[in-house]
Amino acid sequence: MPQRRLHQALAAAAIVLSFWAQGARAAGPALIEAARKEGRVVWYTTQIINQFARPAAEAFEKKYGVKVDYVRTDSNDVALRMLNEGRAGRVQADVFDGTSAAARLRKENLVAQWAPDTGGRLPANAIDPGGYWIATNLYVLTPGINTDLVPKGSEPRTFDDLLNPKWNGRIAWNSSATPSGAGGFIGTVLTEMGEDNGRAYLKKLAGQDIAGLQTAARQVLDQVIAGEYAMALNIFNNHAVISANKGAPAAWIAMSPAMTIFSVVSLAKDAPHPNAGKLLIEFLVSEEGQKLYRDADYMPIDPAVAPREPALRPDGGKFRAAAFTPEEIEMRMPKWSAIYKELFR
Amino acid sequence: MPADASIAPKPAAGRAGFFERAQTGARDKRALGLAIGAVLCALVLPPMFFLLEGSVTIAGPGGAARFTLERFTAIFQQKGFLQSAANSFIFAAGSAALALLLGGLNAWLVERTNTPFKPLAYLTTIISMGTPYVLYVSAWLLLLAKSGPINSWYRQVTGSSDVLINVYGLPGMILVEGLLWSPLVFLLLGATLRNFNPELEEAARMSGAGAWDTLRRITFRLSLPSILALSMLVFIRALEAFEVPALVGLPGRVHVLTTDIYDTMHLTMPPDLGSASALSVLLLIVVSILLYFYGRMTRSAERFATITGKSFRPGRLDLGIWRVPAACALILNFTLLLVLPAIILLWASLLPFYTTFSWAAYARVTSVNYQNVFQSSRYLSLLANTLVIAVVAATAVMLIASLTAWLTVRKAPGAKLLDQLATAPLVFPGIVLGVGVMQLFLNLPIGLYGTIWIIVWAFVINYMPYGVRYSFAGMLQVHRELEEAAAVSGAAPLTGFRRIVLPLLSPSLIAGWLFIFLLATRVLSLPVLLSGPSSQTMAVAMFDLWGNGQGPELAALGLLWSLAMTCIAVTFYAVARRSGAGIHGQG
Repeated sequence: MPQRRLHQALAAAAIVLSFWAQGARAAGPALIEAARKEGRVVWYTTQIINQFARPAAEAFEKKYGVKVDYVRTDSNDVALRMLNEGRAGRVQADVFDGTSAAARLRKENLVAQWAPDTGGRLPANAIDPGGYWIATNLYVLTPGINTDLVPKGSEPRTFDDLLNPKWNGRIAWNSSATPSGAGGFIGTVLTEMGEDNGRAYLKKLAGQDIAGLQTAARQVLDQVIAGEYAMALNIFNNHAVISANKGAPAAWIAMSPAMTIFSVVSLAKDAPHPNAGKLLIEFLVSEEGQKLYRDADYMPIDPAVAPREPALRPDGGKFRAAAFTPEEIEMRMPKWSAIYKELFR
Repeated sequence: MPADASIAPKPAAGRAGFFERAQTGARDKRALGLAIGAVLCALVLPPMFFLLEGSVTIAGPGGAARFTLERFTAIFQQKGFLQSAANSFIFAAGSAALALLLGGLNAWLVERTNTPFKPLAYLTTIISMGTPYVLYVSAWLLLLAKSGPINSWYRQVTGSSDVLINVYGLPGMILVEGLLWSPLVFLLLGATLRNFNPELEEAARMSGAGAWDTLRRITFRLSLPSILALSMLVFIRALEAFEVPALVGLPGRVHVLTTDIYDTMHLTMPPDLGSASALSVLLLIVVSILLYFYGRMTRSAERFATITGKSFRPGRLDLGIWRVPAACALILNFTLLLVLPAIILLWASLLPFYTTFSWAAYARVTSVNYQNVFQSSRYLSLLANTLVIAVVAATAVMLIASLTAWLTVRKAPGAKLLDQLATAPLVFPGIVLGVGVMQLFLNLPIGLYGTIWIIVWAFVINYMPYGVRYSFAGMLQVHRELEEAAAVSGAAPLTGFRRIVLPLLSPSLIAGWLFIFLLATRVLSLPVLLSGPSSQTMAVAMFDLWGNGQGPELAALGLLWSLAMTCIAVTFYAVARRSGAGIHGQG
């Protein structure tokens, strides 16, 4: 028995070492040369085109002379396409990103084990130990309000404040089973309060007649800005800042705990342009790439590139984080969404 | 060698005996039927196969599929399933009724009476059909929302904090869906009514019937096949509609079958297509039953044939004093379907972020959204892709559909099957069809995956039922005596089709082509799923703007797009009207 364990440990060490070796080998002019020979990279992205995907693609093309063909869809569609293409042996994508697709797709053996060498620049938890993904930016999910409809000082500060009758019929959320939807909020509550208390709380919350919209969190916030609802639960807090900067009556509330998740990027297994794919991933997590996230008012994963609004991050000191990995989200979401169906539909 | 064959003298049709010609005719029709059947099978059966397979199999732990009925039991056990089913039927029936009422009234006024402002009705229809769905639905939602202008003004005037109209519910859903479909009804019923032989109406009036009795007992009765076909079409489509139930129903907690399925699909990652397929199979059964009854009702097509060998000029009813309310109705329709949505979209397109009308918001008015649209070079290549896809898809559909309708109405052997095949795609919800087509091309050894041609393929399947209904509605009116006359004069059946039927059908066919072309330029769900890195379309760009809080830029892009589509549609319609008028000697 002990011998088998030793073997396992050695095998694991060997895998880890091989990553380091690969990572070290892949960096530098050789990779750039190989990527240029491939000429293009196909990127399945969930990033908004105008805000991030296009500027990033243009910067990458300019720097390396490798063309980026991006296809923008939501996480579900990314997973669906990757699955179908992978199963048929016609992998199109070199690189894909999202919040939990990587966890699902690695089970289908569709994700390559490769992570760039960042020289310890990124936090340890931003890189999957198996090398299946590397985080590019951080999402924080909080309530968002319409500042015209919710006067300063009357904002809810705690989960219990949300039960105040004055919010009845004035709250909306995205009903989907994603971190930025009802599923994510339910998960945060259960993790914070425990199974029984959490459930009891959610039962009371269901009495508030929350409108479950089948639209992205971004649109739920838009409806709040338009005045259709006073408050949205579980929006991306940086979206409220982006809108407020344009003059919209929007603000996010630093309610503790707030779910934090990574947006992660992965290399597809059997990618048609593996070197260009690696180069793109390296670019996205490089300091230059991270600054692009910052300039779009997103939260870069690199601690050295501070977001333009530092308070958005949990270490900004305004709220406590409940952090989830892509694997945890993938594993627990079915239960959370079942509770949504049971209590809120 | 083929060269020899072409030189070889053909048997002169005119000299052959009548009996012989009839035999070759039947043979030609059979060969044609087989060819069309093969094409339709290739189009329809693969997604149908994936649908059925997906609904009754489930992937085991080892990846091997096993048979199961659990998806069906899960649907029936789902909380509130019966309520959702009931809502679906009320919604579909209500939408069909409203669309028929509005579209039918307009069509009758425009085609059969001497009401003023007729061009307004065409303008309304054409522009509304060139407008992307998502844009239209959001425009009405913006108008009717809790924070929309109507409710805001109500609150200002009354000082109440309540709302005058709550759009989020079944009545709101029916209103929006009914408005969405009324242009289709107008176009299709209009084509039927235009070809109407007025002798029957005149005969009724000469026998002492009033205008109302004539409308009820002659016009309505003779249009019945078209009305039934349209009711069925709108009913089925509303049964499968997703956008309106999701955007208008769900905020008011009204669930229908399609939103239930969407829920099911989004509880897992990736989407649980099996459950969607199971629901589609249930829909397939419902639709098949509807189609069966429809088939029985239109069995004796000759009863409704109104274009016969006799020459006629469609006459129009003189409304007299009733021209005023008729004109008001057209103006109201124009305002409701066009002016109000256009105003609110224009307003939205001028804002950095959307809020309802106010002086504070007026101060923020900007042209930045239009600048973004014009500066983005990406839109040009998307435009080219989109137009190619729409033109090819519309042409292919109308070609296959007109032949199918002809063979069906003329009762060629096996034609009933053809009709059913061509109508079957009605049961595919967009995402199921998209995945079916995706699977097909991934598993075929030809390299079309990721090109625009698979989007064309999906569109041809998706729009075949519309093409067939359009052709069918026109075809029912063309009495076979015209072709019989051609056959007696020595024409082969296909020649008869080409030289007699096709020209007579052209108003219906052109209307159908136009409809499909416009639909193909504005529908979102299929291209979003099927477009690859180099086959992106306008719909994908719009979907992206829509999903990401760029509503104002979407409004700007959408308005410009609708303007461009309207120009195309108007040109096309002008041509079509002239050719249609030429047939009836209206000059």
